[in-house]
Amino acid sequence: METFLFYLFGTLMLGAAAMTVASRSAVAAAVWLVFSFVCAAGVFALLAAPFLAILQILIYAGAIMVLFLFVIMMLQGPVLPAEVAGRSFGRKALLALPAAAIAVILISWAARGREAAFGAAPVTGTAAAVAELLLNRYLLAFELISIVLLVAIVGAMALGRKQEEQP
Amino acid sequence: MTVGLTHYLALAAALFLVGMAGVLIRRNSLIMFMSIEIMLSAANIVFAAYARLHGDLAGHVFVLMVFAVAAAEAAIGLAILVEIYRLRRSVNVDDLNTLME
Repeated sequence: METFLFYLFGTLMLGAAAMTVASRSAVAAAVWLVFSFVCAAGVFALLAAPFLAILQILIYAGAIMVLFLFVIMMLQGPVLPAEVAGRSFGRKALLALPAAAIAVILISWAARGREAAFGAAPVTGTAAAVAELLLNRYLLAFELISIVLLVAIVGAMALGRKQEEQP
Repeated sequence: MTVGLTHYLALAAALFLVGMAGVLIRRNSLIMFMSIEIMLSAANIVFAAYARLHGDLAGHVFVLMVFAVAAAEAAIGLAILVEIYRLRRSVNVDDLNTLME
């Protein structure tokens, strides 16, 4: 069952990510990316990380992608002259295929005979267990990341405000 | 064959490659941003897979950190993008070559 779910979520996630990269329109790319993130939440659930799975959907598929879609709507209103059709995009994508094939071969070659199996009993990453660690051992990192977010908020506001005319 | 660490690492590597290809091939900066999110997502899967291997939840804590960094990156990056669009009327990175000339 776990094997089946891994291949299901893994394939869907990879395919959706590939569609994101290959989509001509930015809105289609964003919707594919949301799908890819939902599948990533499934992968987290398989890795005994239910808290991360929920946060992945809330933060990534919810908040971050809404931000993306808002910006796409803002920019696409006038014109979003997407890459001119043709313009060597197809040729580059064709070049990417052998590169991806070589990469897959290299990865599977490097991984041969080293099937590290997981331990029998997983430590489940529930909200309580992760919070315990986050607010004790990693309290400093937790506080620092809040500063990063604060700086991001201030920076986004500074960048987004209307420019005043120079006197 | 049971699914082990290697499978998750291979999935993450493939995802990272897809994201990297997106950054390298696409010229639409919005889609380049999305490709960066794909690469961060690949890193998250590696964190979670090793947390599962060692039975240590520290990996989960750092996935949370990556979430926060991704959110900050998206907020600032998209604000910069909107500002560039106001100035240049374009989000195509090929049009942003002022410093090259």
